[in-house]
Amino acid sequence: MSTAGGIIRALNSGVKHLAIRRFTLRYPEQKLKFVGDGFQFNPETGVGIAGLRGRHILYHEHCTGCQLCSVACEGIAEAIGMVKVNETWKQNKKAIMPQIDYGKCVFCGLCVDACPFYALYMTNDYELSSFTKSALIYTPAQLAIKPKISQDVEIKIDNRGATHG
Amino acid sequence: MTTQLPPGIKLETVDDRIMTLNVGPQHPGSGHMRLIIKVDGDYIVSCDPDPGYVHRGEEKMAEYRNYIQNVPHLERPVIHDSSNILYPYCLAVEELLGIEVPERAKYIRVIAAELNRCIYILYWLAIYGIFLGHSTMFMWPAGDRELFIDLLEAMSGARVTHAYLVPGGVRNDLPANFEERCLRQVDYLEKRLKEYLAVFYKNPILISRTEGTGILSRTDAIRLGTTGSVLRASGVNFDIRKKEPYDVYENLDFETVVMKEGDSYARSYVPYLEMFESCRIIRDAIRKMPKSGSVRTKLKPNPKGGNDEVYKRVESGRGALGYYIVSNNRPEPYRVKISVGSFRNLICMPYLLKGELLGNMPAVYWSLNYWPVEADR
Repeated sequence: MSTAGGIIRALNSGVKHLAIRRFTLRYPEQKLKFVGDGFQFNPETGVGIAGLRGRHILYHEHCTGCQLCSVACEGIAEAIGMVKVNETWKQNKKAIMPQIDYGKCVFCGLCVDACPFYALYMTNDYELSSFTKSALIYTPAQLAIKPKISQDVEIKIDNRGATHG
Repeated sequence: MTTQLPPGIKLETVDDRIMTLNVGPQHPGSGHMRLIIKVDGDYIVSCDPDPGYVHRGEEKMAEYRNYIQNVPHLERPVIHDSSNILYPYCLAVEELLGIEVPERAKYIRVIAAELNRCIYILYWLAIYGIFLGHSTMFMWPAGDRELFIDLLEAMSGARVTHAYLVPGGVRNDLPANFEERCLRQVDYLEKRLKEYLAVFYKNPILISRTEGTGILSRTDAIRLGTTGSVLRASGVNFDIRKKEPYDVYENLDFETVVMKEGDSYARSYVPYLEMFESCRIIRDAIRKMPKSGSVRTKLKPNPKGGNDEVYKRVESGRGALGYYIVSNNRPEPYRVKISVGSFRNLICMPYLLKGELLGNMPAVYWSLNYWPVEADR
C-alpha cells in the first residue's frame, strides 16, 4: 500500500462519519434509562437484584436500628452514622436510623447487602451535587423520599450506527 | 565558591553534550510517573523510570478489613479494569475459605471480565492515539467504550467501580434481556473495531512512527520477565487463560494472539486483536451459560480463613495479575501481596528507549500497556 493511498483511505474512513448520526448523549437534556428501580438485595437468597447503585432509600417501617449497615460501611467509606429519630416504631426500640454522608459514600452497595430487614435499598437518583458539604449529609427523613426520575433515553443500534436519539 | 559535601556523597558528573529531562510526574503524557531521560541532541542516552507517586498502601489497607470489605478498595488501582483486578482476589479467597462457586456465576464473571478487558483496552487505545497526536483515535474508542460501560452498568449498577465480583460468586444476577442486548452491542463493537484499521492501524503516519521503534526481542522479553501483550507481541505464546485456565475458560473457544515483531506497532496491535477474541469469548459464554440458577454462595458473616496461604493469578488487560494471600485464623488476611503486569513491564523502558529518538518516547512508553496507579498500588 502506498503512503498516499493509506492517507486517503484513512481520511475517507473519517469523512464517512459526517453522514452518520451522532453517538453522544446530550446529558442534561437526555438521561439514560436504567434497568429496574435501583440496586436491591434479597437477604433470604443472599443475592442482589440488578439496578443502578445511586442514592439510598430507607424504609422507616422496616428499619430496626440494628446498625449492620453502619458496621458494613466501617472499613470502606465510614459514610453511615446512626442518629436518633423522633418517630416511634414497634420494631425500632432505640429509635436510631442511618444517616448517610454522600461526601464520603463510594456507592459500593455493601450496606444494602448487609441489611437483613428489607429496609435499605438504592435508587436510580445519581444527581446529588450541592453547594455545601453539609447538604450532602442525608438525614433519615430525606432518605425516605422516593426520587423523581425522568430517565428515558436508550441506545439505538441500526445500520447507520449507534445513537442515543 | 565551593561547597563542602558530606563524606560519601559525590556530585554527578555529566558530559556537556548530555542534557537531563524530567518527563513527568505532572505531565499529562506520562501519567503519575517520572521518566528521567538523558538526551544527546535528539537521541536518548539513558532512561530511568521513577514510579511511586500514587502509592496508596492498598496491601497494608487490606490487612485491616475483612474479606468482603476488601472488595471496594482493592479495585481502586485500576478502575478501568476493576473486574479483572478483583478476579484473582476472589479466586484466592474462595480457595482459602473453601467456597464453591455456582456454575452460572462462573460464566457471569467471565462475561464481566471480558467486557471490562475491552473497556480497558479501548481506554488505553484512546490514550495511545492522543499520545501520537491522532485525535480521531482518542474520540472513537472513548465513545465506543460507552457501549460496554452501559452493559456493565446494567449488570453491576456502577459505571467504572463495579465491585461486582465477590468471593462466592457475583453480587446480583443478570437483568432481564441482558443476553440479547449484550450480543447486539458486541456485534456493533466488532463492526466499529474494523473501522479502526483504516484510520489508525493501516495509517502510514502511525506505521512510520511505531514500526521498528523499541524492538524487544523474544529472549529479552523472557529474560526481563515481561507479561501480557508485551510478551505476546515478542512472539511468546503465553496467556494465563490458556495455560492455567481458571473458572470456565477451558470450556470457551478462543485463541491467543501472538505477533513476532516485538516493536511498538506489534505491542499496540496485539491488544486490538485481543478485543476480537474477547468478543468471541463473550458470545461463547452467553451461549454456554446455564439459563438459571444461583449466582452467589451465601457466606457466614465475617468468614475466617485457616492457617494457610494461597496464590492465584489471572490474565488482566495488562498481563498476569496475581494475589498472594496469607491468613492466620482471623477474619482479616494477614498479608496481601498484589503482583501486577504494569510494574513488571516497566523494566523494559531503559532497554527499549536507549538510542531511540526523543520523539518516539511516547510511542514506546504507552505501548508497554503501563498503568501508573496499578504499578504503585
